[in-house]
Amino acid sequence: MIRLSRRRWVIITILIAGLWSCVALDLNPAGLAIGAGGLGLAGEFFTHALHPALQYESAVPAGTIPILLRSLQAAWWTLIFATTAISLAVAIGMLLGFTASTAWWSEDLTARDTTWRRIITAYLAPAIYGSTRILINLMRSIHELLWAVLLLAAFGIHHMGAAIAIAIPCGGTLAKIFAEMIDETPRDAALAMRDAGATPLQIYFIGLLPRALPDIAAYTLYRFECALRTSAVLGFFGFPTLGFYIAASFENLHYAEVWTYLYVLFGLVALVDWWSGKLRRNMLLWTQTTA
Amino acid sequence: MDTDNSVNLAIEQLHRQRPRSRFVRYSVCLMLLVIALSWLLGDFFTTDLFNGRRLQNLQRFLQELIPYPLQGRAFDWAIALDWLDKILADRGWQALGTTLAISVAAIVMAGCSSLVFTLLAARTLSTTEPFLPAPLGKHSRFKQSAWWLVVAITRLMLIFLRAIPEYVWAFLLLAVLGISAWPIVLALALHNIGILGKLSAEVVENLPTAALASLRGLGASRLQIAGAAIMPMALPRLLMFFFYRWETCVREATVLGMLGFVSLGFWIQDARARNVYDEMFLLIILGAALIMGGDLVSAIVRALIRNNR
Repeated sequence: MIRLSRRRWVIITILIAGLWSCVALDLNPAGLAIGAGGLGLAGEFFTHALHPALQYESAVPAGTIPILLRSLQAAWWTLIFATTAISLAVAIGMLLGFTASTAWWSEDLTARDTTWRRIITAYLAPAIYGSTRILINLMRSIHELLWAVLLLAAFGIHHMGAAIAIAIPCGGTLAKIFAEMIDETPRDAALAMRDAGATPLQIYFIGLLPRALPDIAAYTLYRFECALRTSAVLGFFGFPTLGFYIAASFENLHYAEVWTYLYVLFGLVALVDWWSGKLRRNMLLWTQTTA
Repeated sequence: MDTDNSVNLAIEQLHRQRPRSRFVRYSVCLMLLVIALSWLLGDFFTTDLFNGRRLQNLQRFLQELIPYPLQGRAFDWAIALDWLDKILADRGWQALGTTLAISVAAIVMAGCSSLVFTLLAARTLSTTEPFLPAPLGKHSRFKQSAWWLVVAITRLMLIFLRAIPEYVWAFLLLAVLGISAWPIVLALALHNIGILGKLSAEVVENLPTAALASLRGLGASRLQIAGAAIMPMALPRLLMFFFYRWETCVREATVLGMLGFVSLGFWIQDARARNVYDEMFLLIILGAALIMGGDLVSAIVRALIRNNR
């Protein structure tokens, strides 16, 4: 019997699972060999990648803004939904991240001198902690687009619905990560504060949170990039972001226009990617010099 | 009094020496500005948010979330279970299985093919003299710029792949390839190649170079180095990213069916189109359960890998 390391077992399992799913989905290379019509379509679509439209491909009603301006406008709307959603999500994340961390009630950081405090740490805090964790998991486990579908069904189409649809799962994820980061912050300062007689809230907001802040900010930036992509996709549900125009142009067979919008989306994402990367590196430098 | 003063002075001095970055400060200002503009210009506060019609709509929607056979009567376990069983047997289980298979097939494809791009995008490997200090003037300018071009093109392609959301890839590929599992799987795979390729390239670039440099010094080729040293050294981290991305694949797979391939998203869209909100809600909850299960499996496997270096 050959002894395989766990790592190798994991890889073998992955490959078997991959094969199983290909069989279950009936994926065979023949399925990729598309018919002449499909091939023509694919060829036409991808050759347009080299010359995206600078003008509309068909006549448009007088007064329509030029396509380049319109794509920038759609990019701006994409940005609006994403920023609104991320600012909501940060508020949610901070609030739930606080209640989902153990730092404000865990044994080593709280003195149990009064009966009240003992009751809180023994019963109330774990209950709040536990229910927040469940709430966070529910928020995270339903996809943004499904939240959008639910909110659309409940309220009809409304911009606030789109922002909230992105903010709920994003806020849940931020809360989870914030809580983990705060709990993993070195507790030396916090312990010193406890010994000096600080209350758990003081310890939390002065001893722990500021030290976790650069990591929290860096992760929030990463989530912002995800929100931007989701915001673009929400166009498929009728909101005025890039997805709306991608779908509309594609359905009218205006492939060059599709590529214009795709390139603008690419540009927007790449710009935010570059900017947040630079910001993250700057903040990383920051923590290293203070450490 | 005197010590107080000196403490204050020390604090003031520390405060003055705090790290400051003009870029960070301007960025924060810009961010606050964009957030304020978004809230102001986004039409989020139109007056009809809570008008009578919307509230009525909301009330009806909430009532219709209750399973249909149970509406307007006392709760009964037998009826509820019967309703649940019927939907699951009709399409629930099959949809769950398909969705899971889509996510697994996509991430395995992405994982395998991203390895190639990882090696091409790693600046330490894709260069004229990998891991060794370059002897001056030994390599032609042409060779150097050729390698630079390889890295640049690979990275640009990876950025493009991950900038386009899975949903958009799937939408485009479905029209081009016709309705089958391929477009959905490929869409997920393409986006994840972009992400895995970038993350893994960073892992490869950050590997300790001593072993790699000595292999190169002994005359190993790039592929030999990759197979004998880079892969074994980078594998635990790569597997971490693999499972982390698989979680997101499961997440995305639950909605990609909305575009027309029969899986969970398809039936959710279908129930929505028929205004059968109780069934739609059940299917959404099923998707959430699948995602939670995926997260759990991934967390367990990642813990296994972490503890077994």
